Amino acid sequence: MMSFRSALVVATLLMPTLVVAGSPVKKLVFSDPAGDDFGPGSYTYPTHAVYAPGSFDLRNVEITDKGATIQFKVKLGARIKDPWNSKDWDGNGFSLQFVQIYIDTDHKAGSGFTKPLPGLGGAKFAADEAWDKLVLISPQGKTRLGQEVKYKARAMRKSVVIPRKTRARGKTLTAIVKKSDLGPIGANWGIQVVVQSNEGYPAKKDILTRRVNQVRGEHRFGGGHDTACDPHVIDILAGKAKGEKTEIAAQKRTLAYTCNKKLATLPMIYASKR
Amino acid sequence: MRRHVLPRIVVLLGTLVIATTAHADLSRFDIGARIYTKHLYTNDDTQGLLWLGNPFWFDQIKGGNGVGSELELTFKGRASRYVTAGARVASRFGERWQDYWESGTRMYGNTVNTSGDSVGMNRASYLKLRGTWVQVQPEWAFVDWLRVGSSDLGMFNPWTIGKLRYIDRDNGRGYFLSGHLGSQRQLTWIAAAIALPKLWVGPWWSTGLGDPELVNPFWSRDWAYATTIRWRPTEGTVLKLTADMTQDLETDLSDPDALGSTNPNCKDALGSQIPGCQSDHAVDLYTRYHSANATLQLEQELGETTRVDGTLAYSRQRIDTRLTGNGVAKNQGISPVVYKDTDAFAGTVRLAADDPWEMGLSFKAEYFNIGQDYNAIFGARREADVLLTDGFLGGGQLPTLNLANEFVDFGEAWVESCIGWHGGTGVATFENEDGDLKVDAEYTYITYNTNAQDRDVDTTYPDFLHSDGYTDIGLYDFANVYDRGRDPRSVYRRNQWRRSQIVMLRATKQLEIGRGLEIKFKGKYIRDEDYRRLDGAGAKDDDYKGNIFIARLQVAMPVTDGLKLAAGTQIDRWYETNRRGTLELGYGDDVTKRHTAFAQARYHFGGFRAGYHLEYVHKLQERQREGDQRWSVWRSKATVEVAW
Repeated sequence: MMSFRSALVVATLLMPTLVVAGSPVKKLVFSDPAGDDFGPGSYTYPTHAVYAPGSFDLRNVEITDKGATIQFKVKLGARIKDPWNSKDWDGNGFSLQFVQIYIDTDHKAGSGFTKPLPGLGGAKFAADEAWDKLVLISPQGKTRLGQEVKYKARAMRKSVVIPRKTRARGKTLTAIVKKSDLGPIGANWGIQVVVQSNEGYPAKKDILTRRVNQVRGEHRFGGGHDTACDPHVIDILAGKAKGEKTEIAAQKRTLAYTCNKKLATLPMIYASKR
Repeated sequence: MRRHVLPRIVVLLGTLVIATTAHADLSRFDIGARIYTKHLYTNDDTQGLLWLGNPFWFDQIKGGNGVGSELELTFKGRASRYVTAGARVASRFGERWQDYWESGTRMYGNTVNTSGDSVGMNRASYLKLRGTWVQVQPEWAFVDWLRVGSSDLGMFNPWTIGKLRYIDRDNGRGYFLSGHLGSQRQLTWIAAAIALPKLWVGPWWSTGLGDPELVNPFWSRDWAYATTIRWRPTEGTVLKLTADMTQDLETDLSDPDALGSTNPNCKDALGSQIPGCQSDHAVDLYTRYHSANATLQLEQELGETTRVDGTLAYSRQRIDTRLTGNGVAKNQGISPVVYKDTDAFAGTVRLAADDPWEMGLSFKAEYFNIGQDYNAIFGARREADVLLTDGFLGGGQLPTLNLANEFVDFGEAWVESCIGWHGGTGVATFENEDGDLKVDAEYTYITYNTNAQDRDVDTTYPDFLHSDGYTDIGLYDFANVYDRGRDPRSVYRRNQWRRSQIVMLRATKQLEIGRGLEIKFKGKYIRDEDYRRLDGAGAKDDDYKGNIFIARLQVAMPVTDGLKLAAGTQIDRWYETNRRGTLELGYGDDVTKRHTAFAQARYHFGGFRAGYHLEYVHKLQERQREGDQRWSVWRSKATVEVAW
């Protein structure tokens, strides 16, 4: 049995760790290696020329506390363009990419969602890594995005955050989110960043995502499966998310799937454990 | 017996499981539908469903009062995972709800009556096949797909073959082959043979139809050929070569086998045999009109935040004047081509720095130089833009005389021709860290390669009849009944020495009021000078000076889920010295004062999309040489759309 004094000593020693883990931070940075924009290793881009190489290759993610707002910056492997004139459909100045940032704010089993937003095919989060908040960086305007979430993911609606501003510059997508929608950045936050492609005419239950088929098409990713048992994610954070080459293998492992047997698992990357 | 039943049930259940898990993307057959309704109201007596209709002298489409609906069906299916096919069927838009059972407007005895026993189809919402396509992905190395049928032609660019207007999106048809080289698809290519549109690509906006020089327009073998090759030698460099040529063939009327031949019997007026003339049941063909356009484009990343984009373009046309009527001389100067053989170059270079100092300040600068004879006859007609500037009209600039601003409602964007433009644009953009403020500032200076004295606008260069004055795209009419200013296609003038400056400031601010109040402001000043005739009698009496001021303010806010309201106002002041006229008749100094107030609503709910725009326009045109004009216009447009 631990004496009161021993307990006090242990508690005193643990205190800084607990404070660090739970206290807010100003910035979180995650990196991802180049050339792993192939899901579990086999995915290929659609054949239309607008899907330039690197367009879905995640390179870097910065989450910064800007006072009243939180800024998300997602850098990709190619210049972000607007081939479909997003301003014509009330969009945000780009056309192709759709980035989903999942956040586990409490790292507690039973809290949050283990299913991702509809449209990512066969993918899930582990029970103790369920997400609590989801930030959507989409070229679609707030109205369309809000309607899609409202009607296709009603249960998740209150946990989905649509940024007050989304924009593209060079290779970087930036989203500005009200801090009151997320709370301060926690040092113990778990983060997963999923890179997908914006599909303005999605399948009925999908939220604006582009499907992955076995054979790629002009506007369909290839190298997957012809049913939705494969994870419809093109690039994610994996390993320790420091941009090391070993994280390519980690991504392949975590996104490996077997139809009707094993779903791919999207791992949370906890800043405090890196 | 029972031993056989169980496996069958298992197989059946298995099939059902597979069938239910297979997603729609691979379904053998998928059908989509859309119903679109539009209601126009204007406080005049025009009747129709379109504010600005066909540019032809007569149509039954345009009018400011009417409500009608359209049904569209889209089919898509897969023969296998390698073969996809699709089709679109849509009803003709033009029937108004008041039409009831009437199908056409032609009545017996050519009288207006209520019999309903009308002929014709222009009041019928008949379903028409708009396009079909089949796409195959053969498992061949270096070949991605083969497409047969409809395409919007978006794979090329506005300088060559442009993406078709949205309303034309399935009208382009041809054979398309796409492929690649390199494991990382460093080089991709598309080659195409495209049926040449008989109604708009070529002199007289046709490939022979309606040309007064032709007896038997032959358009079924007219094609365009095009290719685009995209090469990515390094991660930050893209080179793109795009080229097309069009060929409009017509029959040799001296051939005895040609329909309408001048030598059907191979005998001259005296009855003598014409040497070399003999029927062989084959018809010789000549090229009436040929065009070629090509671009070499470079996209180069200079650093993390800076890049340069460049376009070098070439344009060529050849006209056989024996087979092509002179649209400049015979059609009042309204022609989509210069009536002579031409060769021309164009180029643009654009530098961009995206927030280089990470303080929200970005820059773009562009130099452009477009030859006076450049013409992308098959280029983009609208819904595209090749220059950085906001321009005169705000809807984009395109290097063609073949613009198509018709078939639009009020308030829609207009493009203008940039043929002959030579100058530069600088744009600075500031966005604050919170993302609630964005400001764009632009300065553009333009001189014109089309500046010339005594240009032949009688037989060679089309001036589109109306080449003077700032264009009023809000109260435009085709016949210029109300002095609506320069036709956006008018780039040539008999006497011109013109230069223009454009200053534009645009700001968007979001305020944390309610669900977010958005304030948009746009202010523009255009200084447009044209000394017109430089020498000779009256040279100093015709100088044009335009000082155009435009300010627009809009506030918008979502009020509930899916419902967004907006309201705003626009003030125009156009001070124009010698706006229009001739040396003989004299010129006048005109002042245009226009005030517009508008309210808008958009509503999305469970697949239901509705929009409403109501505006009041008051315009006073104070004219020195002619009488003043006044407009007091109320008008609105409501749309409802459901797709499933």
